[in-house]
Amino acid sequence: MLRRISTICVIILATILIVVSCGRKKPAEKDGKDSAGSAKQQYASKGDEGTITGKISFDGAPPASKKIDMSQDANCANSAGEKTTDDVMVAEGKLGNVFVYLKGGPVDKYSFPTPSDPVVLDQQGCRYHPRVLGIQTNQTLKVTNSDSTTHNIHPSPKVNQEWNQMQAQGAPAIEKQFGRAETLIPVKCNQHPWMKANVGVLGHPCFAVSAKDGTYTIKNVPPGTYTLVFWHEVLGEQTQQVTIAAKESKTQDITYKAGATPGAPSMQIGPTLLLP
Amino acid sequence: MAAPAQSLNLLKEPSIQQGVLGDRTNRSLHWFAILLSCMTVGLLVAGALVTSNEAGDSVPDWPLSFGRWLIKSNNFIANVRYEYSHRFVAGVVGATTLIFALWAYISERRVWMRRLGLIALAGVIAQAGIGGLRVLLPEYKAAIAVPHALVAQSFFGLIVAMAVFTSSSWSGVGESRPDTGNPGVRRLATIAVAAVLIQLVLGAGFRHGAFGIIPHISGAIVVTALIISTSVITIRRHGGDKFLARPAKLATALVLVQAGLGVAAYFARLAAAGDPQPLEPMISLTVAHLVVGALTLASVLVLCLRSHRALSVQGLKMTDVTAVEFRSPRRAAV
Repeated sequence: MLRRISTICVIILATILIVVSCGRKKPAEKDGKDSAGSAKQQYASKGDEGTITGKISFDGAPPASKKIDMSQDANCANSAGEKTTDDVMVAEGKLGNVFVYLKGGPVDKYSFPTPSDPVVLDQQGCRYHPRVLGIQTNQTLKVTNSDSTTHNIHPSPKVNQEWNQMQAQGAPAIEKQFGRAETLIPVKCNQHPWMKANVGVLGHPCFAVSAKDGTYTIKNVPPGTYTLVFWHEVLGEQTQQVTIAAKESKTQDITYKAGATPGAPSMQIGPTLLLP
Repeated sequence: MAAPAQSLNLLKEPSIQQGVLGDRTNRSLHWFAILLSCMTVGLLVAGALVTSNEAGDSVPDWPLSFGRWLIKSNNFIANVRYEYSHRFVAGVVGATTLIFALWAYISERRVWMRRLGLIALAGVIAQAGIGGLRVLLPEYKAAIAVPHALVAQSFFGLIVAMAVFTSSSWSGVGESRPDTGNPGVRRLATIAVAAVLIQLVLGAGFRHGAFGIIPHISGAIVVTALIISTSVITIRRHGGDKFLARPAKLATALVLVQAGLGVAAYFARLAAAGDPQPLEPMISLTVAHLVVGALTLASVLVLCLRSHRALSVQGLKMTDVTAVEFRSPRRAAV
């Protein structure tokens, strides 16, 4: 009996180890490869790039903000700033924190140089600032902690390597890169479960995040035909087809309607298996 | 030096190795097993609080917490309280299990009981390792958290079983009665235990995002029906025997409470979907659902073990010697 149970235990543990080792995500690859793994040609600017601007509207009554209970951590509770949800940020009918990016066309055919400047994600008032941000593959994400408490930063990507790192008060900035394009990676602090951010990782620089007044601008767009994607963490995704001619400036507005919440958190009803 | 050597020789005596219990019961070990069972329920509550508060990754390192065994008080805040308390309680339960296993090994005359103690110790060590993997490999959250939940419930069941085996009612069973009727109570209770364990896996799978809710709801219907029918049959056939009737009644009551808690927890989770963080009553309902699930497993397991003890296929008493064989009813019947 003991031998049998021991064998079963060993088999279970061995299975877990095999699953874990075989399913380990591939390390981050360098930018500049297409889906087949072959190197992409470096984009050479001809000076004829265009610009896409626009305004994102919200039609209807915005969802009411909910109070965040920060009493679990006095440092958070006593910090300055609003203690309400900001996942749907609507001001005078305009929608902020929408991640806008180009898909298809020349931006997916070429590789683009990685910016040397890091993108900063700060923790202040036990909130992430900004809540939505974009970054290029292999560009440095610099995570800082301006709070007088400890946080942990935990992105949960699907194609990049997941990591979870603590950052104490006054600790040096954490610098990380994401090697693969992925829209979007949810970031969470597991110590303060209301702290959420979203990072859009792209292989090109043609993206923007809408400001509080709903405006956005994507500069240096190579001429071509694209799918313009609007992504909001609660309200979901919308797309538009857009063609940019040489040196053209185009306006692409869009409206999200109240009540349409395809991206809202919901219970998973079907028996979908997510195990690796 | 002579005394320990004598003790070891005593343990090697053939009659003892055969598992002869005699008329003595191991009362102190029995109460220690009950204490360990209660501590394990506390550990299950601590683990459930971690999941319900989404605190599983709040301490990124393991086995140390923020690089220390005892964390600083200023780190014991927010979700860290749940995760660290879970680790601390697990450590206490692990240490208690070590004492329990040693105690069982030294004091128990039944070889298989001594082995069960060692299995419990191996289980709690394996469980700690799986918990560590869960922390160190967050990308495999569901794949590791589900076995972690299964081992937790199985460990609890094992300690409850050892409490049953060391009880005076276990050794005081008189002549066994035939398990008449088809299906027999013994078989039904065994199936019910297996069904509850499977249901616990489905529940853990849903809770950790590996499965949807449909398998868990389907399992709940099957398990509820199975436990109620097992209990009704047990009470109808052996209602006068408290040894069997009590766990049957308890299992029925618990599974009904569990079904109600399950519905309440489901709707609480639906209502909480838009909340910025885990809030009440969702936290309490989901924790209560998990704990009552564990208690349901325990009650059905007690019924199963007792039915194998008090009933026999051919009206034979399951004597203390054949108790070794209760794991294989077919061989015992032969």
